[in-house]
Amino acid sequence: MEQNSIPSTKVERAMRFVKTGAQIGGNYIKHYSKKMLDPSMTKEQLHEDNAEDVYNALSELKGSALKVAQMLSMEKNVLPRAYVNKFALAQYSAPPLSGPLIVQTFVKQFGKTPQQIFDTFNMQSTRAASIGQVHEATKDGQKLAVKIQYPGVAESIKSDLKLVKPIAFRLIGLSEKEFEKYIIEVESKLLEETNYDLELQRSQEISRLCANIPNIKFTKYYPEYSSNKVLVMNWLEGLHLEEFLKTNPSQEIRNQIGQAMWDFYDMQVHEQKAVHADPHPGNFLMQADGSLGVIDFGCVKEIPEDFYYNYFALLVPEILKSQESIKRIMLQQQIVSEKDDKRTQDVITDAFIRMTTLLSTPFVTDEFDFSNNDYIDKIYALGEEVTNMKELRESKEGRGSQHALYINRTYFGIYSILNVLGAKVKTGQRNWKQPLMDYHLKADN
Amino acid sequence: MSNDLIKQYINHTLEHNKTPESVYLFAKAINMEEKEFYNHYSSLEGLEADIYKIWFENAYKTCADAEPWEQYSAREKVLAVFFAFIEEAKNYRSFAVYLKNRDLVKLPRWPKYLNELHEVFVDNMKPILSEAVGTNEIQERKYLDEKYVSGLWLNFLFVITFWLNDSSKGFEKTDESIERSVNLAFDLMGKSALDAALDFGKFLFQNR
Repeated sequence: MEQNSIPSTKVERAMRFVKTGAQIGGNYIKHYSKKMLDPSMTKEQLHEDNAEDVYNALSELKGSALKVAQMLSMEKNVLPRAYVNKFALAQYSAPPLSGPLIVQTFVKQFGKTPQQIFDTFNMQSTRAASIGQVHEATKDGQKLAVKIQYPGVAESIKSDLKLVKPIAFRLIGLSEKEFEKYIIEVESKLLEETNYDLELQRSQEISRLCANIPNIKFTKYYPEYSSNKVLVMNWLEGLHLEEFLKTNPSQEIRNQIGQAMWDFYDMQVHEQKAVHADPHPGNFLMQADGSLGVIDFGCVKEIPEDFYYNYFALLVPEILKSQESIKRIMLQQQIVSEKDDKRTQDVITDAFIRMTTLLSTPFVTDEFDFSNNDYIDKIYALGEEVTNMKELRESKEGRGSQHALYINRTYFGIYSILNVLGAKVKTGQRNWKQPLMDYHLKADN
Repeated sequence: MSNDLIKQYINHTLEHNKTPESVYLFAKAINMEEKEFYNHYSSLEGLEADIYKIWFENAYKTCADAEPWEQYSAREKVLAVFFAFIEEAKNYRSFAVYLKNRDLVKLPRWPKYLNELHEVFVDNMKPILSEAVGTNEIQERKYLDEKYVSGLWLNFLFVITFWLNDSSKGFEKTDESIERSVNLAFDLMGKSALDAALDFGKFLFQNR
């Protein structure tokens, strides 16, 4: 019974999307006809209907289509929070590959069956990664995690991305230009994820640099049993977020884990300028002693220097006091363009400053309590307001830097996880603001 | 010895880009008495038909000797055999491609050189299928269940042709085609809504 209900051919997947497209169209008709009868009906109801259809369609897919749609919908805040959380879960419950295919993959890569390589090898997968699955094995008394990639993933990425296009236009409301800009970035990142050799190399780099952060745990990889389709590492103990919370961890332990996570990202963003850009709950394992295991380094986003200095400047209130700085940042981030008229520039700038002021709240205080639901809801509300702004909707330009896609997604993911975890985090420990202030002070003069 | 003969036949074909025209010419080319050849095969066609059969036998043996075989369900056994067969045939892909271009496979028929493969395939698959009927993994259906093995054979031919035309890296697409087509075959053979519908129809018919 394994895998038989996943729409697997391109045609089948396309059919899924066409069906969804039709359903969404239907929902709008339903909405407007209901609204004629009952003017008090809100857009919320429509949102719910749409989100449910999209979620149902997407959850039958796996691999890149799921990932992209999830990402774009986060970017545009089209999915209500409940669904975003559902998506995060959907990623680690994909149906497994058959036993013989696993054996075949090993024979192809190493000329041996997994049973010949390891002392024990569990043919049932224990965890699913987004483009592969994880098996438990042992060798010389050491418990191992063996990650195996689904065959044909890399080839299917391009055709999957084409399939997302109608959804991106109709549902998420992206313009052609915005879509093109994002899709190039997304495609290259997704293709990188299918390269396990690269993942091996990156995980070793990041683990080395972040080795001194308290309560963060990395795993040891075994290059000798790894190839571009198979990765072998020590088994990391711990529970995923939802299951971890069921064990009723104390507030102190939650804070400790939240702190570890925050420090881990601070280090990567501000020191390394390259970040583990896939912070969904499936990639973190939490332990009862308050330590956080990080797995899956498939998606690492390198942050270009000039992007760094402008993007993070938006989070520093001191810099936003200078109108000159603001204008320069807006242009660099491609949020406004020289082609816009003055009024459009002002309206958009104003909206973005409001949004970033809200987003940067955790950055400007010494300590922040992420369990505060009001805060997360406010972000959603403002996000929606900005998305629906007339000036933005009518704009033919694609706005925002393509690099921001992954950085936004990263912070969005961190905020969501910390919110669910209910952690209070000391956010102001690292002094990264000074270099940014110096940079913009110099640029102003 | 016949294995040796096959190797020489394959090499001879690949080097000359055509199969030998007679037993006499082939025997002469490999320095063998023509009489000696007939101890193994009665004709070149007979030898050709043995090639695919031997690949299959090797593949089947690899699977049945491997550790997880006993724990596999019928579906997994079939999958394993298909994968192992392609792995085995890979060693002689050029030759297989040559044969394919000489005699095209037009489903549901197949060229003569696959006749022996057909026999050994049926002999080995039948026990797996009847075991699966016993464990209810596939559904017993009057008259139809005798056709299961023929269906699986067509599935196998499909996979072979797919592989011969596959240009993906490491023949990944062939792996996918095996996984998906065998899963489909077993889903069709398993208990499905169709059985319930037939059963209901029968009930209505009997209780008019």
